[in-house]
Amino acid sequence: MRLKTTLFLLALLAFISSLIGVYIHYTSLQANFLAKAREEGESKAEAMRIRLSAFLSEQLKPVSALAGMEQLEDALIFKSDGKLKAANRVLDHFNSALGVDVCYLMDSNGDTVASSNRFDADSFVGQNFKFRPYFQYAMRSVPRTYLALGTTSLKRGVYFSYPVHSDKRLEPVGVVVIKDRMEKLEELLSTGTGELIFLTAPSGIIFASSSPQYIFTSEGKITPEVQRELSETRQFGEGPWEWSGLSYPEPNTAYDRLGKKYLVYRRGVERFPGWSIQVLVESDYDYLNYLKPLYSENRPLVLPLILLICVSVGILYRRASMEVLQRRNAEAALRHNEERFRTLYNQTPAMLHSIDPSGRLVRVSDYWSELLGYSREEVVGRNLTDFMSDESREHAINVVLPNFLRDGFAKEIEYTFIKKNGEPIDVLLSAITERDDEGKIFRSIAVLVDVTERKRAERGLQQARKMLENYSRDLERQVRERTLEITNILKYTPAVVSLKDREGRYLLVNSRFSEMFKIGSDKVRGHSDEEIFPPDVATLLSGHDRRVLEAREPFSVEERMEWEGAVRVYLTVKFPLFDEDGVVTGVGSISTDVTALKEAQEELRRLSSRVLEGQERERAAVARELHDELGQVLTALKMDAVWLAERLKDGDERAADHAHKMSENIDRTIDEVRGMVMNLRPGVLDDLGLIAALEWLSDEVERRTGIPCTFRHSELPRLGTVAETAIYRIAQEALTNVARHSGAARAEVALKREAGNLILTVYDDGEGFDVEPGKPFESHGLSGIRERAELIGGSVEITSVSYGGTRVKFTLPIDAHIREPEN
Amino acid sequence: MIKVLLAEDHSLVRAGLCRLVDESGNIEVVAEAEDGKEALDLIRKVAPDVAVIDISMPAMDGFELLAAISSEFPALPVIVLTMHEEPQYVVRAISSGAKGYITKRSAPEQLVEAIGKVYGGGLFLTSFAAEALAVNAAGGGKLDSPLEELSNREIQVLRRLAMGQVNREIAEALSISIKTVDTYRQRILKKLGLRNNAELSRFAIKQGLVDL
Repeated sequence: MRLKTTLFLLALLAFISSLIGVYIHYTSLQANFLAKAREEGESKAEAMRIRLSAFLSEQLKPVSALAGMEQLEDALIFKSDGKLKAANRVLDHFNSALGVDVCYLMDSNGDTVASSNRFDADSFVGQNFKFRPYFQYAMRSVPRTYLALGTTSLKRGVYFSYPVHSDKRLEPVGVVVIKDRMEKLEELLSTGTGELIFLTAPSGIIFASSSPQYIFTSEGKITPEVQRELSETRQFGEGPWEWSGLSYPEPNTAYDRLGKKYLVYRRGVERFPGWSIQVLVESDYDYLNYLKPLYSENRPLVLPLILLICVSVGILYRRASMEVLQRRNAEAALRHNEERFRTLYNQTPAMLHSIDPSGRLVRVSDYWSELLGYSREEVVGRNLTDFMSDESREHAINVVLPNFLRDGFAKEIEYTFIKKNGEPIDVLLSAITERDDEGKIFRSIAVLVDVTERKRAERGLQQARKMLENYSRDLERQVRERTLEITNILKYTPAVVSLKDREGRYLLVNSRFSEMFKIGSDKVRGHSDEEIFPPDVATLLSGHDRRVLEAREPFSVEERMEWEGAVRVYLTVKFPLFDEDGVVTGVGSISTDVTALKEAQEELRRLSSRVLEGQERERAAVARELHDELGQVLTALKMDAVWLAERLKDGDERAADHAHKMSENIDRTIDEVRGMVMNLRPGVLDDLGLIAALEWLSDEVERRTGIPCTFRHSELPRLGTVAETAIYRIAQEALTNVARHSGAARAEVALKREAGNLILTVYDDGEGFDVEPGKPFESHGLSGIRERAELIGGSVEITSVSYGGTRVKFTLPIDAHIREPEN
Repeated sequence: MIKVLLAEDHSLVRAGLCRLVDESGNIEVVAEAEDGKEALDLIRKVAPDVAVIDISMPAMDGFELLAAISSEFPALPVIVLTMHEEPQYVVRAISSGAKGYITKRSAPEQLVEAIGKVYGGGLFLTSFAAEALAVNAAGGGKLDSPLEELSNREIQVLRRLAMGQVNREIAEALSISIKTVDTYRQRILKKLGLRNNAELSRFAIKQGLVDL
């Protein structure tokens, strides 16, 4: 921009200086002209003055000659017609000889006695000009030249007066006057165009002029005094004398009405004090006039020249500024390219470096420095080989670099560089050179590929391959071992194992399978159950296969299987077989013979049941014994004691009292025995049945604990003793638990029949407890409940909410337990 | 003389009872049986005026005997005399047709009176027995009863309150503290939505808990 501005300023300067040149030239021309014009004006004014002087003195000698004529003297003295005639003749003679306007003769009174124009209409004869100064001066013997407007002829003229003397008298006898025409003077004042010449009276009145319009105008404004004076003298007629319109701001400069400027050259007039002759030269007119020749001569050249200069300057400026712009753009593009190149170079995610012919680094990419751990400042200017391992350096100096400088390229050279932290890095280097215009190498560019990882990977790969070989050998061995193990397991396991495909065809069976079904595995493989076994067995064997295939989950089931007359119970686990993609390809089955276990379990259950039954029986027996025997005896004793007390009441009061106390003791003992009995086994249960027993139990719990306990029930048939006992004991245990743990404000026992089930619910609103999943009974001493429930084929569910109460719900399928009607 | 049959399997007790009855002067034990079967045979033979029978007996227990008597000798008043003091027995006995219910230990005081009462066509119930009956009749324990929410104990207290007993009397009768009685009372009023004892009485009568 600066350059452009400079350029613009230069162009402007050139233009301005040429203008200044023209101006200076012009002004000097003008000054020159003005000086010349002034000189010319001065000389013109001088010439005018000389001409005027000549004109004004022209008739001096003739008038004196005329005054000396005798005829005139005679005429004045004698005033006879003859004399006058002679005088007139003289006057005529002079008039025509001199070529003046008029010649006339006045007597001492001022009356005109003879005149050359005596025959004209405006004849002076008889006219008196006594008032004229030329007359008065002449009468005082002073000849006089006088400029005035004729009062009779109304013509301007120069009056030359001369006294006419007579020898006899001292004083003049008359005055002779030659009046010359002013026009004659004016002809003398010939002017060029643009010039004005004035003859101006002392009063400022222009008396004669080259331009008639100015005659009898006044140079300046006329004061009334001058006006009056002028009117008196009648020198310039009657007036009025208007202002010429010329103003003189300076003595030698004037402007006319139209503002035209004139240069004024003034000269005094000899013998006419106050009078002046002025030459006014129109300054512009004259200037142009002067210049015109020059101008018109050069005009065809000047304008085009100026235009040419302007255009040339413009074009040059434009060319130059375009050049500047182009250069600037080129520079910017170059800079941008350079920048881009640098950015590209630096930021390329590859290791790049450039070296000069001496092998010194001149440039490296970010990645290069980053990978080697040096900053760019640390490496630029240093020898490339400084960063190599010893081996690589030697190789580079002796082989690679000379070849590279000779050939101009290098390809996939293996080097090892050393990072700043000392780690080696393996690279593959490829490089080319850049040559200058003379074909000399001045720079190079090299691309390095980090092959450390690749090399490491290659080594790793080799190792891995070796390991893999070992591993696969090991694997094969293991597979063999495992296969052997599995084969042995399958062979010796007591379980029956089989694998089937999706279509139910056997893929594998173990020896136990063959033994059990007495069929060789080769006959089984590839066949389905339906093809091998009778329909009932086949159904059993393939029964759950479909389900496992669909659910994709293992499934276990206990199955009873009758085979060749023996019933066995199997615990069968069926499981889906998956391939690697998780597709189910078949079903595996492992069946374990649990017949013995089941029998043992059943035995245990029976035993347990017998134990409980026995316990109950024992309790019942003991209770009955206590109740019926001890209770009765005590009752009998009590009766006796009462009887005694009654008997002794009137006789032995002490004994009676004692008997009474005895009775009371017996009563207490009865209570204790009753308590024991009820605890062992309430007679109500056996005598009145479950409902009465539960009702009593509820009352008893409430009585003992103070927790209100309601019992509700629907109509129910009597159940078997075992069932009733179990239900009673479950309720008892649950209520015991309520009393012991819950802190309840209320308990409820309910017994109802619902869809073939008998449901016992024991609820309390106590604080509850967290039911441990899977172990609800063990955790709260309720295991007896479960045992009893399971023994008679019922189930128990316990729900407990912390601070929301506990509900023990026992469900028993009722049908099996309804008591057979007696008889 | 009122002729009484005594069915009691325990000889000692039987002897005691015989003595009690004989000493009364106007009652005579005309037959003694050791079990139900025997008793039924004897009734047929001697036609007693009143039968006093135990519940726990071998070979046909008291309830079976009672059932048999009810069907065979509906006019024969039976008094159940038993060791059992649980209200459930009372209910069962009376509903089976017994005219009186006495526990053995109160026999010395009540047996003679009871025999007289039933012989005269009346019903002999101790207050305890009457209460048991009332509670049962009121439906305590049965589903869908207005008293569903109440426990039997509460019904007992309710009944006594309705009969005009004061807290002290109730406490003594039920062997609980006076304070507990009051607790019960509050609880009952709350459960039934009643305001005072008067409403409580009206409710009890309506439910047949109390005879007017």
